[in-house]
Amino acid sequence: MRKHKYVLYGLIGMPLIFVILIPLTSIYPVMSAEVPSAGELPPFAPAGMPYKQAMVLGLVNMTVLMFMILPDFIPSVIASYTFVGEKVNRQLEPLLATPTSDSELLIGKGLGAFMPAMAVTLVSFVGLMLVVDLLTFPLFGYLLLPNLLSVVVLFVYCPLVALLSVSLCVFISSKVTDVRAAMQLSAIAIFPVLAFYFLFLSGVISLDWSTLAVFALVLGLASMGLFYLSKATFRREEILTKWK
Amino acid sequence: MIKLQGLSRNFNGTKAVDGLTFEVKEGEIFGLLGPNGAGKTTTVRMLCCLIKPTTGTAFIGGHEVGKDAMKIREIVGLLPESPGLYGELSAYRNLEFYAKLYGVPKQKREENIERFLKMLDLWKRRNNPAGTFSKGMQQKIAIVRAMVHEPKVLFLDEPTAALAPESAKIVRDFILELKRERRTIFLCTHNLYEAERLCDRVAILNTKLIALGSPAELERKSGPSKTEVQLERVSEKIVNAVRGLKNVKDVEREGNKLLVVTDDPESANPTIVETIVKQGGRVKYVTRTAHALEETYLRLVKESES
Repeated sequence: MRKHKYVLYGLIGMPLIFVILIPLTSIYPVMSAEVPSAGELPPFAPAGMPYKQAMVLGLVNMTVLMFMILPDFIPSVIASYTFVGEKVNRQLEPLLATPTSDSELLIGKGLGAFMPAMAVTLVSFVGLMLVVDLLTFPLFGYLLLPNLLSVVVLFVYCPLVALLSVSLCVFISSKVTDVRAAMQLSAIAIFPVLAFYFLFLSGVISLDWSTLAVFALVLGLASMGLFYLSKATFRREEILTKWK
Repeated sequence: MIKLQGLSRNFNGTKAVDGLTFEVKEGEIFGLLGPNGAGKTTTVRMLCCLIKPTTGTAFIGGHEVGKDAMKIREIVGLLPESPGLYGELSAYRNLEFYAKLYGVPKQKREENIERFLKMLDLWKRRNNPAGTFSKGMQQKIAIVRAMVHEPKVLFLDEPTAALAPESAKIVRDFILELKRERRTIFLCTHNLYEAERLCDRVAILNTKLIALGSPAELERKSGPSKTEVQLERVSEKIVNAVRGLKNVKDVEREGNKLLVVTDDPESANPTIVETIVKQGGRVKYVTRTAHALEETYLRLVKESES
């Protein structure tokens, strides 16, 4: 980790963006600005409450949804390095010589990225909660976070998103021959979350339980599919003989 | 313990290894010699089930390469060309990780790591990150890694290549100790002195197998050998007596030194020394003038290339 500083920077820098920068730049301006007491609400803001509160709650929900990018991004930094990084450092040959099955190798590599990603996500969420509640308590008079959406995001979506990211990155890492290429390609892990976020932002989908369930199902199935694809296409021999 | 039957491997139509057939007995140190690109590493990778043969097959401990890969991986240890340690982990953690992958029970794991690290003089540095070690020390840790599950067969690819002479000696002694434990050792090396000292038998490879036998057998193939006898004083009487011996082809005199050419130095040398002593000569030392295995190796490789 010390040797690969970009991994370390990613693990520290990205949480700071999601915990401090995003709430401060999205929620704080609305909190401190003079906004009309009534008016047309944007699609992401919940109806049935005063304009400013609806705006702030809508932004908090968006921040919580955007938080899913964190467990998406962190594994991509670690997992994209797995096979290709070890090959470059010549650590793969002794590993492949052990009596470890392809599934065990893939699961092991995946867990090695999943566990730290979830640990960073959980710690970061506590930070996000503190920042959001400090900002919004004066307006609401109670703590906005944790709410039901944030609990679902943290304990259902974050693991699923991390799993999808890990599966995709391990798959990519076992196919490409260069660490940078692996990291760049792994960036596509972020697309499902961004798609969900922008569909919500534009009002195409709402945060009802059926939409959330479909999204969870898509993430779970995609992760499983990628794992089996990785397993089916994992070639020890190619990794050793064709990669330079 | 190891049996190769026409083992071959092509890469994009080019033969990297061509029809190897030989056997390695249990408890034997077997040396695989050959120039760069001769197919040594490819052979080891096939035997460790890392890559598949194009044609032919091999058996390790009765298990067929390609068919019983997991069983073979359980009973072999591999030291690859590069140590490939996890630099951020300590030496101990590196070894512990691999011992766990091999399913070594905790107590045995701790015993083995301690024993082998002590044998290679690394026990005191066990908690240091492997990345801070010199190349030679990393190589020694990688040797322990290959041994941590006590495999029956150990494949060592250039084990002393990066080592200082004192470390190389420690590793050679370690290999001999493993032989005493009846482990089969398959040693790829460029170091002919090492092969001569350690190996029971050697194979010379240049894509194809070009020679196989004990170092002494291969040395004999290099033709007449020179024995150097340093005396206190050389007389004509001694020179003539040695020249008259049945196994001696020629005798040269260089000051108080005799250079005796024989076909079979191992059987001729005792008679030569005995004759010199009978003629009143006082022998200071007897030695070979050149490493005969090196001569054989160079000649055979050159012949195979032409």
